Amino acid sequence: MTPEQLSERIALARTKDHLIDLIGITKEFDGTPVLRGIDLYIRKKEFVTLLGPSGCGKTTTLRIIGGFETATEGALLFEGQDIAALPPYKRRVNTVFQKYALFPHLNVYDNIAFGLKLKKLPKKVIDEKVEQMLELVNLKGYARRHVEALSGGQQQRVAIARSLVNEPEVLLLDEPLGALDLKLRKEMQLELKNMQQRLGITFIYVTHDQEEALTMSDTIVVMKDGTIQQIGDPKSIYDEPANAFVADFIGESNILRGTMVQDELVRFAGANFPCVDFGFGENAPVDVVIRPEDIMLVGEDVGQIVGTIKSVLFKGVHYEMMIDAGEYTFKVHSTTMQPQGSKVGLNIVPFNIHIMKPMEEVASNEI
Amino acid sequence: MRSDMSLPWWAWAAMGVGLVAFAAMVGVTIRRNRGIHRSLFASPYTLWMIIFTVVPVILIGYYAFTDANGAFTLDNFKNFWDSNFNANKSILAAGEAVGQDYSAYITRGTVNVDTLVYSLWMAFLCTVICLLLGYPAALIMADRKMKLGPTLVVLFIIPMWMNFLLRTIAWMSLLEDSGLINTFLKWLGFEGVQLMYNSEAVLLGMVYNFLPFMVFPIYTALSKMDFRLSEAAADLGCNSWQTLYKVTMPLSIPGIVSGITMVFMPSVTTFFIPRVLGGGNTMMFGDLIEAKFLTEGNWNVGSALSLIMMLLILVSLSILRKADPNGEGGGIA
Repeated sequence: MTPEQLSERIALARTKDHLIDLIGITKEFDGTPVLRGIDLYIRKKEFVTLLGPSGCGKTTTLRIIGGFETATEGALLFEGQDIAALPPYKRRVNTVFQKYALFPHLNVYDNIAFGLKLKKLPKKVIDEKVEQMLELVNLKGYARRHVEALSGGQQQRVAIARSLVNEPEVLLLDEPLGALDLKLRKEMQLELKNMQQRLGITFIYVTHDQEEALTMSDTIVVMKDGTIQQIGDPKSIYDEPANAFVADFIGESNILRGTMVQDELVRFAGANFPCVDFGFGENAPVDVVIRPEDIMLVGEDVGQIVGTIKSVLFKGVHYEMMIDAGEYTFKVHSTTMQPQGSKVGLNIVPFNIHIMKPMEEVASNEI
Repeated sequence: MRSDMSLPWWAWAAMGVGLVAFAAMVGVTIRRNRGIHRSLFASPYTLWMIIFTVVPVILIGYYAFTDANGAFTLDNFKNFWDSNFNANKSILAAGEAVGQDYSAYITRGTVNVDTLVYSLWMAFLCTVICLLLGYPAALIMADRKMKLGPTLVVLFIIPMWMNFLLRTIAWMSLLEDSGLINTFLKWLGFEGVQLMYNSEAVLLGMVYNFLPFMVFPIYTALSKMDFRLSEAAADLGCNSWQTLYKVTMPLSIPGIVSGITMVFMPSVTTFFIPRVLGGGNTMMFGDLIEAKFLTEGNWNVGSALSLIMMLLILVSLSILRKADPNGEGGGIA
């Protein structure tokens, strides 16, 4: 991007009602690109999740917003102002760090009061605010405890309280629930979401857990190899993944090679399926994505294709079956069990067949 | 020189009993574990400790509380307090012999106490200077972004490969009247400066020799620290100075304590440096002890002075221990 283009885009971003704008952000570590041009805007009171596998650049993006890294290129705007040169302590942003980074030489009270004391608030005000925060994170009566004597979940809450007490405009959370066990994590997900809605603070949340992202976010940003793959609300990301990577990363998917016979008709696994997509051209190679729960098991004689059940696993709510059909093995979720080895028909309604450009093409477009 | 250096019979007996007890303990350990147990690998070190640490300390205790004939006495400690004590004693004895009171002729000497106070003061100065120089150095070494750590570590270690005496003598060739610095000054047209044979030169030598012992413990403490903690401090509103004194410094206290210990202890007992760089104009307690043993041959007074020094070091160690109760700084304190 040329400087003219950049300033043009900055000017354009300023006309919009965005809280944070990342424009063409790139980042290199010792010559290795980590971010390859991130364009993202965040609105007030939004819960945005940066989602992706490890090494996709989501944490680096967060650290650039927090002020711990500087972008190699691109602009970072906060309410239209370029804040790239501001040190972390001058940004109206607070971070909850991955491993909490609580100060081990201070107790719970002093950890939470850390930011307030720096602002030289009167002791009474500090006491009051810390008390409120402890209540908010369900840690009443823990003020004098030593932070290293707390459990992981409690430390997590202290870390959140320590950030929130400063009343930041934006709270950055770097995989804050990563170290907690499943049950506690689910509880904290709901608590965090509640907190965010009650306090009306913008949350930027980094995670590699797709379920966490779907549960909590207003907007999900799916990232891979330093590029954004898709931005959207949880439902649209799940239902209309932009490419096979997103489809695979969000939820489980069958990803197949297929050919677009004509508009609204796709051929894969040895049969033609009506679908709702068009505009790929005739006989064009495509990727076909089908969610396991979208494949219906029917009688052998009425199925669009016929397959043999290879394995059956009980997963609680549903059974997961691997079914050989044509040259593919389909993963199917169904609430009714079919015996292993039996032959079944597979039906897929047109609406549930997602057609995408093949992966290789997407990948080569990126670079 | 003292002619009779032989040990009393009971000292030999005690050493014999100690060795027999040691052998018995090794035997019992083998017997009880029906073979070699891990703890046996500590026995060479234990033996070494007995012979070269425990026995000498017992001997120092013995000499400190006896006179030249091996009889119990506290005169050695009185001698520490009043350095003319022995001379005064003979003056008074001579007076008694002729039936006169010679107490008007005696004077109290304070050389030993003065030397001790001077040593403590010099050690204090050396420790403070080492801390002031060493802490920033350790900070720079531990800084991830500057990437100077490995280079600086090597630079600090290289001089330590050289012998302590050589290092100190090397300073002479820099500081002496016809040394490098004065030659350079004269070449520039200035007059030469007296750089050696004063307290400052001694202090310089001490700081130079002991600085690495301050830098490395602090460096270790700092590099063990989670760098996210300083990021968290910055995030919560600290500028770099506030981060330093609110987070980094408190968390590096174990390193500071162990650095102070490792500089202060050898500083108090410094000898040789004052002789080389101070040219005999200054004397430290270590030199005094050395002189008592080797020049005067008075092992009894020398031992008493050593005991006093040991006591002082133990006291300062127990004070420092309070600042680092978990021994995180390597447990030296």
